Amino acid sequence: MMWRLAWRNLLRRRRRTLLTALSVATGLWVTLLFTGIANHNWDNMVNTSAKMGLGHVTIEPAGYLQSPSANKRFTADAKLLSITEALPNVTRAIPRIMAEGMIATATKSVGGSIIGIDPARETAEHNFFLRSLATGRLFHTADEPGVMVGIRLAEKLNLKLGKKLVYTAADVHGNIVSDLARVTGIFQTGVEAVDGGVILLPLEKLRHMLGYSDNEATLVAVFLNDQRRASEVRTAIIAQAFPGTETWTWSETQTEIAGMITIDHISHLFFQFFIGLLVAAGILDTILMSVLERKREFGVMLAVGSSPLFLFRLVLTESFFIGLLGLMLGVVVNSPFYIYLSRWGYNLGSLLPEGYDLSRVPLDPVMRVIYYPADVAGIAAAIFGLALLAGLYPAWKASRLPPVESIRSA
Amino acid sequence: MDNGPIIKLENVTKVYHQGKINVTAIDGFSVAVDKGDFTALCGPSGSGKTTILNIVGALDVPTAGRVTLEGNDLADLSRTALSTMRRDRIGFVFQAYNLIPVLTAYENAEFVLALQGMPERERRARVMEMLKEVGLEGLENRRPEELSGGQQQRVAIARAMVTQPAVILADEPTANLDSATAASLLSIMEHLNISHGITFLFSTHDQRVMDRARRIITLRDGKLAGDERKG
Repeated sequence: MMWRLAWRNLLRRRRRTLLTALSVATGLWVTLLFTGIANHNWDNMVNTSAKMGLGHVTIEPAGYLQSPSANKRFTADAKLLSITEALPNVTRAIPRIMAEGMIATATKSVGGSIIGIDPARETAEHNFFLRSLATGRLFHTADEPGVMVGIRLAEKLNLKLGKKLVYTAADVHGNIVSDLARVTGIFQTGVEAVDGGVILLPLEKLRHMLGYSDNEATLVAVFLNDQRRASEVRTAIIAQAFPGTETWTWSETQTEIAGMITIDHISHLFFQFFIGLLVAAGILDTILMSVLERKREFGVMLAVGSSPLFLFRLVLTESFFIGLLGLMLGVVVNSPFYIYLSRWGYNLGSLLPEGYDLSRVPLDPVMRVIYYPADVAGIAAAIFGLALLAGLYPAWKASRLPPVESIRSA
Repeated sequence: MDNGPIIKLENVTKVYHQGKINVTAIDGFSVAVDKGDFTALCGPSGSGKTTILNIVGALDVPTAGRVTLEGNDLADLSRTALSTMRRDRIGFVFQAYNLIPVLTAYENAEFVLALQGMPERERRARVMEMLKEVGLEGLENRRPEELSGGQQQRVAIARAMVTQPAVILADEPTANLDSATAASLLSIMEHLNISHGITFLFSTHDQRVMDRARRIITLRDGKLAGDERKG
C-alpha cells in the first residue's frame, strides 16, 4: 500500500516529479561525465609517463630513487624478468638503463637524458618514444650502433637519418666515456623538453660503454594491465626479495603527477559534493512542497490510524522513487555520451597549445571517458543517498504534523 | 444493546491560545456515552462540537479533565498507542469526506486494514462486503473525483466501518449532502449501528440527523446545555 501510495503521489504532479528526476539525472550525468573524463586523463597521464621510462612499477637498485647515479645498478636477468612477468596484473617487465650525458655532433653539443633499451623487448605498446616515431626506425639489435633522437634535438644538432652523433656519460667508475652512434630514427612526442633532450640507445652498447656487466640495468620498468593495481604489484615484487633492489610505484617515482592527480581528485570530490547539494536541494524543495500541499491529507491519515512513522516512511519512499527515477533517467541521458566518448572521443586538439604537457608528459588532446564500476556504483549510491537524505526533513515534518490543525488546513 | 459507558468525558476543558487571547472552546464538560448509542452532539457553530469529537478521537488533548475510551485514559497513552487506538477502535467520518484522492474507492476503504497488516485476501473480502453494504458495488475502482459527494461519503463510512471499530465519530456527516442522499446515508449508519453494535457520535446542526438520533446532547459555549434520550 505504501509503495503504491507513494508512487501515485508522485504522479499527481507529473511535470514537477519529472523535472526533479531530471535534476537528479543531470547531476548523475555531469558527475559521471566529469569523473569519466578525469579517469581517462589520469589513466592516460600515468600510462604515458610509465611508457616514457619507469613503468607503472619500477624495480631499481637500492638508493637509486633518492640519489640516481650510473654506478647504481642490479642484475635484471631473465629469471627476475620472468618471475616479475608471472605476477598477477603484470603485462611486461623491461630492463632499461638511464643516464645523463652530453650529445654532440662535430659542431654542436647539448646535455640530455640517455635511455638504453633492448629492441627485442620493447614495443610501441610499452614505449612512448617508439609510438611517437616520426621518421626512420628503431635500431634492430641491442648492440647495433644506432640511436633514436628527439625531433628538436635533431634540429638543434642538425641531425638527419644516417648521420652520426657522439654521446658522453660517466661510467660506473666515474670516468667520462663516450661512443658513436648513427641516427636510425627520430621521434616526436610533442613535449619540447623530451624531444629536445632525450636519446634512445641499444641496451648492450650502453651497458658496455658504462661498464655494466651482462644483464645489469638501472631499472626494470614493470607494466600493468591496470595502473590502479600498482601498490598490489609493488607488494608482490617486494615479496620476491630480489637482492639489492627497491620497488616503487609510479606515484612514488612520478610524485609531480601523483600530486597533481591527488589535487585534481580532491577538487573533483568538492565538485561532486556541490553537484550533490544542488540535486539534494531540488529534491528537498519538491518533497517539502508536496508535504505542505498535502497537510490535510496527512492529518486525515493520522486521524484514521496512520502512525507518524508511516507518514515518515511514506515521504521517504517518495524520495526513494524520485532518486530511482533520476538514476534511471541519468543512465539513459549518460549512455550516448558514454558510447561516443569511450569509442571515438572528442578531439580538443584545436583548443590546446601545441606540445601541451604536464611534468614532461604529453596530454591526450582527445577527450574520452573511462568508467570504473566502483566509481559508477559510488556516484550512483551517493546521488541516491542524497535523494533519501533530502527526503528526511520533509518526512520528519510530515510525521510531526498535528492532526487537528492539518485536517483544518485548506 | 450492551449498555455501559464506552466514552467518558469528565470535567473536560479545552482552551486555545490565539496570540495573547485565550479562547475557551470547552468548559468543564462531562458526559458518558454508552456502548451502542446513536448520539448527536448539537449546538450552534463554535459551541465546541468538533472539539469534543477531536478530543474523544485522540486527535486533540484537553487542557484539563479526563477522557476515557473503552476504559482507557487517553492521557496515559503514548503517541503510538493513540495511533493504534485510532486505527483499531475508532472510525472517523468527516463533513468534507476527506478521502485520499490518489486511491480508488476500494483502496480508500482498504487503507486502514492495510495499516493493520491484514492479509490481502481477507482485506478484499471485508472491503467488498462493506462497499456492498454502503451501496457502492461496482464503483470500487473509481477515484474520489469520479464519485458524487454522497458516494464519497459512503466510501468514508465504509473506511470508518471496515475495521469494525468500537466507535464512529462523525463530524457533520450530512452537511454537504442533499436531503435524499443524507437520508440514505443516515439509514446506512443506523443499520450499521443496529446490526454491528457500533457506537455513533455525531456532531450536527442537521435536523434530519437529530430526528434519527436516539440521544441528543446539546452544547452551548462549550458547556453542556442539554442531554435528551429518546424513547
